[in-house]
Amino acid sequence: MSDHERQNRWAAIRGVAGRDLLEFVRDRRTLFVTLLMPMAMYPILALASTIGLRTALADLDARKAPLPVELVLSGVDADRISERIMAIVDSGSSFPIDWPASVAIRVESAVASKRLIDSTGADAWIHLPPGAITTLDGLKTLPVDVRLADARRNESRLRRHILAIVKALADDARLRRVTTAGLPRSVLEPIKVQFADEVVKPTDLTLDGVLPTAVGAVLVLLALLTATGGFYPAIDAIAGEKERGTIETLLITPASTRDIVTGKFLGVFTVTLMSLAANAISVSLTIAVLLRLLPKGLDLGISTSLAAECAGVAILAFMGLAAVAAAACLAVTSAAHSTKEAQNTLTPVILLTSGLASASLVPGVGGPLVALVPFAGQVWVTREALVRESSLPIGFLLMLSLASSIAVTWILLRAAAVALADEEVLFRGPDSASGLTTRPAPRDLPTPMQGFGVAMVAFAMLWYVNGLATADPIVALPIQQMVLLGPLALITLWQRVNQWQTFRLVWPSGPGRGSLTLCAAALAGVGLFVTGAAVLLAARGSELSPAAREMAERLVSLLVARPWWVGWLLISILPAVCEELFFRGWVLAAFAGKRPSRSRAVTAVLLQAAAFAAFHLIPERMPQTFVLGVVLGWMTLKTGSLLPAIVAHAAHNAVPLVFLGLASSEWLPDLGGKGLPPWVVASAVAAAVAGLAIVQTTGTGAVFRTAGK
Amino acid sequence: MIEVDQLVKQFRAADGSLVEAVDGVSFSVAPSEIVGLLGANGAGKTTTMRLLATLLSPTAGTARIAGHDIVTDPLGVRRHLGYLSATTGVPDRLTPREVLEFAGRLHGLDRAAIADRTATLLHTLGLESCESRPCGRLSSGQRQRVSLGRALVHNPPALVLDEPTNALDVVGARDLLNLLDTLRDAGRTILVSTHRLHEIERRCDRFVVIHAGRVVAQGTQREMAAEPGSLERAFFAAVEGSGGA
Repeated sequence: MSDHERQNRWAAIRGVAGRDLLEFVRDRRTLFVTLLMPMAMYPILALASTIGLRTALADLDARKAPLPVELVLSGVDADRISERIMAIVDSGSSFPIDWPASVAIRVESAVASKRLIDSTGADAWIHLPPGAITTLDGLKTLPVDVRLADARRNESRLRRHILAIVKALADDARLRRVTTAGLPRSVLEPIKVQFADEVVKPTDLTLDGVLPTAVGAVLVLLALLTATGGFYPAIDAIAGEKERGTIETLLITPASTRDIVTGKFLGVFTVTLMSLAANAISVSLTIAVLLRLLPKGLDLGISTSLAAECAGVAILAFMGLAAVAAAACLAVTSAAHSTKEAQNTLTPVILLTSGLASASLVPGVGGPLVALVPFAGQVWVTREALVRESSLPIGFLLMLSLASSIAVTWILLRAAAVALADEEVLFRGPDSASGLTTRPAPRDLPTPMQGFGVAMVAFAMLWYVNGLATADPIVALPIQQMVLLGPLALITLWQRVNQWQTFRLVWPSGPGRGSLTLCAAALAGVGLFVTGAAVLLAARGSELSPAAREMAERLVSLLVARPWWVGWLLISILPAVCEELFFRGWVLAAFAGKRPSRSRAVTAVLLQAAAFAAFHLIPERMPQTFVLGVVLGWMTLKTGSLLPAIVAHAAHNAVPLVFLGLASSEWLPDLGGKGLPPWVVASAVAAAVAGLAIVQTTGTGAVFRTAGK
Repeated sequence: MIEVDQLVKQFRAADGSLVEAVDGVSFSVAPSEIVGLLGANGAGKTTTMRLLATLLSPTAGTARIAGHDIVTDPLGVRRHLGYLSATTGVPDRLTPREVLEFAGRLHGLDRAAIADRTATLLHTLGLESCESRPCGRLSSGQRQRVSLGRALVHNPPALVLDEPTNALDVVGARDLLNLLDTLRDAGRTILVSTHRLHEIERRCDRFVVIHAGRVVAQGTQREMAAEPGSLERAFFAAVEGSGGA
């Protein structure tokens, strides 16, 4: 590319960004949502929560406040016991905890006492057995019956008050017994604690435990509002242009679709950053105001340097979040024809982002892998800067998050450029997209929206099934795979998508080369598993998350207790067939389309691999499954057939079965948790490289070639 | 010069069958010539023009605009083509001046050229009085003139105008067609489509009648519109002769 062309490209990108920004700042709706709403929202939320908190505290105080208690005593020694209690009250000495506000005592006969308590003329009736005083002053235990008034029977505060009065009476009796026995009072107080230093401003108030949760909640809100900041600008930038008929005027200029999308991204990103800044300023001011309202002497547990560091991490991480949000909004609206369609599609995406951000607050969720997840990662890293639960340096985690943000933004912008140039999206009528209830015309491949929709439905169902289904793998594993294939089969038939062209179950490559391709795929699958396992062992040792450990234990029990072919069927063959049909069949075909450009093919492979990794639900498996997904996606595009991916996947999953078989026959040496021997790792890497090299050579490069019916 | 050579565009219809919206269309437009592309709704005019503007990719065949192939050199085509469609809008919140300046920037013009072309077009199109008013507050005719200005900002040798007078009243349509006369006299190659046959029968040098995606008649103004109203008769004769209408 010459300097002149580069300058022209940059001028076009700046031109698009500048024009969009000019339009945004002249749009009152955008200004309101991005700037004014955040400035007003936090004070309103803070005010509402402060009022709520104060009301709750006042209610709590009222509940804790001591009540006056009216007792009625009956029994022979009731008068003398009453005198002792009143003497305690009058002494004004330190009362036990839960002492009532005041004590009033009446002495009545048992019959009169019962009548009084039945009519709620007293709060509690204590009936003393004969010889109560003698027992109290002697060495035995005095049994006492207490009955609360019916209307106050469920008041725990009253019960505590009665127990406090009885405790005071018991303390008095203990003292009398000690005196009678001629023992010193110190018998009752073997230890007396005295602190050497005096606390000038004693306070129990600290936000140490509350702060991470409060900060997490604020960060999730900040993430949601930042993403919302890109909502209207993105809709206006693409769907709005389509609706106004101005998008054509961009597409007929010498600027490429990618440059147009980049320019629009810069515009939306700028507005999203403005929204982020408005949110951050507003939330900071609100927190400052709230801190002034808190009691003096409150310990926040944060030093100034830590606060400054947290702010720095937050700014950088949330800039990444703003970029991803802007790109996601653009990618979604690029596939919509009208603003209404864009709003309908974008709303669930915004909700999804808040779900991801909230997921980072779940106890136990964290680590470098979470830092890579869009929206969850940025929130987690920012919160981590404050709470420091991870042993990894915060700078490293921030770099991971930023790298992930850049990569995800790049992929989303590629997807946006593909959708923007799609003739069907560009020129079909606003409401011509067929719903699920109307059968559309037969088509060769699923649309990107169908790919995305089916993946979302299957993911949700898989999650439900994993949570609700039986733990027995022999039932759970087939159900999981059926959850993938069930919706897929229905939508394929109902939406009249060509199964042959979508799933491409054809012999790979030319005559005589198919067998070699399949063998190479199997070799690559084995090599990838062992290499992945070696990397995992090196990174984590034998330490596994509870979920991963539970799954491994379940699988081992399945393999040990059943015939060998059950394990092979459920772990190797069934997932290989079902998951390949789903991910490398449906999802990849939907995202790549027919004969995709190189950039679209790369984007499609990365997206389906990300979905494949997410479907495995266990974080430490995700990197390995992502890499496997990328390789299998590439293999499918390279050979124009799904069979190599199925064979490679089956071989990949079969490796642990082989290892287990060798272990039971004592062929496998004890690794002692030290990781795999170097020669095994080297062989695995060589096998993977050799297998992929052969597929690269034998693959025809015919992407999604038409399969014979 | 616009040269259309056996252009084919297939779409998939709602029932799944393939529909040839454009089916082997061939014609040409020379410099200093206005050619009217005539046809009923759904005849394939807009699809043909979108193919020429590189908004759609042809299923088969090709076309060249000022020597640039729409399949192999779409960027070259875009640099030498001004395109205006019936559905083309203008950004409501930008002024005519801003619209033209922005279009110039996207076409790679430098600052001086942008300033020069913007001033010329605002004057030529009679938009000076409203150059600083947001386009959302302009009349239909003024908006259409802004659209035309945007198509002309890079001074393209060829113009493809799809029903440019659709939203205009009689006066607005006359002014726009007068402008096309001026552009033709300045050496531009102009392809224009419209339903309003009477408007263009005295303006076009030649006509191409398209029906069901095929060219069913071609001829010069003398051959098809020698006297007032004869273009309409020629049009119906061509369409009915092809088995349509």
